[in-house]
Amino acid sequence: MNWFVWRQHRKQFLILGLLLVAFAALVIPTGLSFWHTYQQALTACAQNPATPSCSDLPGNLFQSSLDQILFRLVPVSVLILPVILGMFWGAPLLAKEYSEGTNSLIWTQSVSRRKWLTIKLAWILVATVVFAGAFAALSTWWSNTPNALYLDRFNGIHFGSQDIVPVAESLFAVALGIMVGAWFRKTMLAVGVALGLSIALVLVVVPNFVRPNYMTPNTVTSPMGPGAIDAKIPSGSNLLLTRNIVDKNGKTFDRFNSANLPPQCQQLIEDQQVSNNGHSVQVMPGKIGTGSIDACLNDAGYHQIAKYQPASRYWDFQDIEAGLYLVLSALAITATYGFVLKRDA
Amino acid sequence: MSEIAIQTKALGKRYGSFWALENCSIDVPVGSVSALVGPNGAGKSTLLKLLVGLSSPSAGESDVLGKVPAQREEFLSDIGYLAQEIPLYGNLDARDHIAMGQHLNKRWDEKFIIDRLQELGIPLDRVVGKLSGGQRAQVALALALAKKPKLLLLDEPVAALDPLARHDFLSSLAQAVADGGLTVVMSSHLLADLERVSDHVIVLAAGQTQLCDDIETVLKEHKLLVGPKEHAQNLGDGVDVIHETHTPKQSTLLVRLGKGTKLPAHWQQHEPNIEEIILAYMGQAKEMNIGGTR
Repeated sequence: MNWFVWRQHRKQFLILGLLLVAFAALVIPTGLSFWHTYQQALTACAQNPATPSCSDLPGNLFQSSLDQILFRLVPVSVLILPVILGMFWGAPLLAKEYSEGTNSLIWTQSVSRRKWLTIKLAWILVATVVFAGAFAALSTWWSNTPNALYLDRFNGIHFGSQDIVPVAESLFAVALGIMVGAWFRKTMLAVGVALGLSIALVLVVVPNFVRPNYMTPNTVTSPMGPGAIDAKIPSGSNLLLTRNIVDKNGKTFDRFNSANLPPQCQQLIEDQQVSNNGHSVQVMPGKIGTGSIDACLNDAGYHQIAKYQPASRYWDFQDIEAGLYLVLSALAITATYGFVLKRDA
Repeated sequence: MSEIAIQTKALGKRYGSFWALENCSIDVPVGSVSALVGPNGAGKSTLLKLLVGLSSPSAGESDVLGKVPAQREEFLSDIGYLAQEIPLYGNLDARDHIAMGQHLNKRWDEKFIIDRLQELGIPLDRVVGKLSGGQRAQVALALALAKKPKLLLLDEPVAALDPLARHDFLSSLAQAVADGGLTVVMSSHLLADLERVSDHVIVLAAGQTQLCDDIETVLKEHKLLVGPKEHAQNLGDGVDVIHETHTPKQSTLLVRLGKGTKLPAHWQQHEPNIEEIILAYMGQAKEMNIGGTR
């Protein structure tokens, strides 16, 4: 049985192995070079703190378009890996057997259906963890430089492309694909549904709507004024959730609707607009038009409020999210057993 | 009474509210080659899938080689099954399939299958997706036979084959049966082919068993009667009319006679062939079915 699963799937293992080698060939030299450049800049700035570029290293280092492309390409490759695996490994695994009828060939050899399924699943799921682990390890190591420079590893594409989350996401996407294939029994349909579901869940719903809520966020408030609220958030790789302006009743101010402002402040904004040759003035948290408008809003009881998950929770969030995906994977696998063993061939 | 390989009692399979197979009771003796015939949708594939444990019954029970069909190793190792679509892994070659059989079966005759495929001139190193339909059917049959099964269930294996490939396939099958110890149930539409290889017949129609007996008995018990129409209602006990056609004066009846039944004198007797008998049973089911739906 092991031999046969290997024989059936060795080509897909080989293809992903080649992709892994290509990824390593991209990531290892650039990762070394970025880290070297960054360390050199830090050393230089330690010796001559007055150098102008030292006040804003993120804005001065790695400005070439090639570097900028790499800073997106590497995390995005690992971010979409779960979707790719779910689509090419997960969905066809059982759907292809069903749609080509080979399930009735393999299920009438002298191996029970349960044993066949268990061995097949074990191979694919273990291979998923091994390969996704290798990709994630490379991406995590490579991200040392951007993590230190931009303090953004808790955010969007970076959180999902480093450490254990991408591995758990991959496991889930593959398990989901397998389950969808066992349900629909048609390869192309299963691939399409698995693709749609994994994009929706892994790339949209969990990062944007689930992840922010694992723990109660920290809340800080500040008076109006440029940078006032940012000064209240401790520096570090935080996950910033919201930054708003609220009125004296605690109601969030909609920055696109300045009609809600007190009349005296509204007048200031209109005056400002005229002096700006008609360009609008946006009342935005953190950076607001002019000192006089800020003062007016402060007098009217307006203030800024921000919610964030502090950098110290990074690993808690990695663990919680990985745990969530593990539970979902277990559910998908359990359902797969039900679909395969309980339903007729 | 010879030993029984397959026995089903009131076996039924329902999909939603539709009974694909209903009240099916058959006995298949060990060593027989049974032809499973019936019109499309009669439940032939359903019955075979139930017998090999690929699907589970909604009603009734079955006993196959002394066991209840299930997806368990000890049951499967005695059964060879070939599904209607002749499934093989299109991107693997025959050698891979042979190795699969080797790894997935405790009992496996590797020499047999390699010799056999070489004898048939089937290239072992070409992916089976590139073989002809006849060659694929031969590979699939050889795989089923290499398990050294006690029971072989074949679902319309020759349906998609050209006459020559069909002939070769049936010869292979006949040879395997001649080697001994094998019970075969094979479904097909091609009555003439079945007649060549089988000694037992099961007619399924409208989801029910119409006939299940060995061909010799079937031939002995069925008569084609030709006689005056006015006597058609009055045949006496022990005579079952399977099929009747009438002209204004004359009736032609296909009847089954119970043991020791004597026929009224004014009927001309003819011996029907097996094809006529099978068609009569299928026709009877069709009429019943139409009557039922009205």
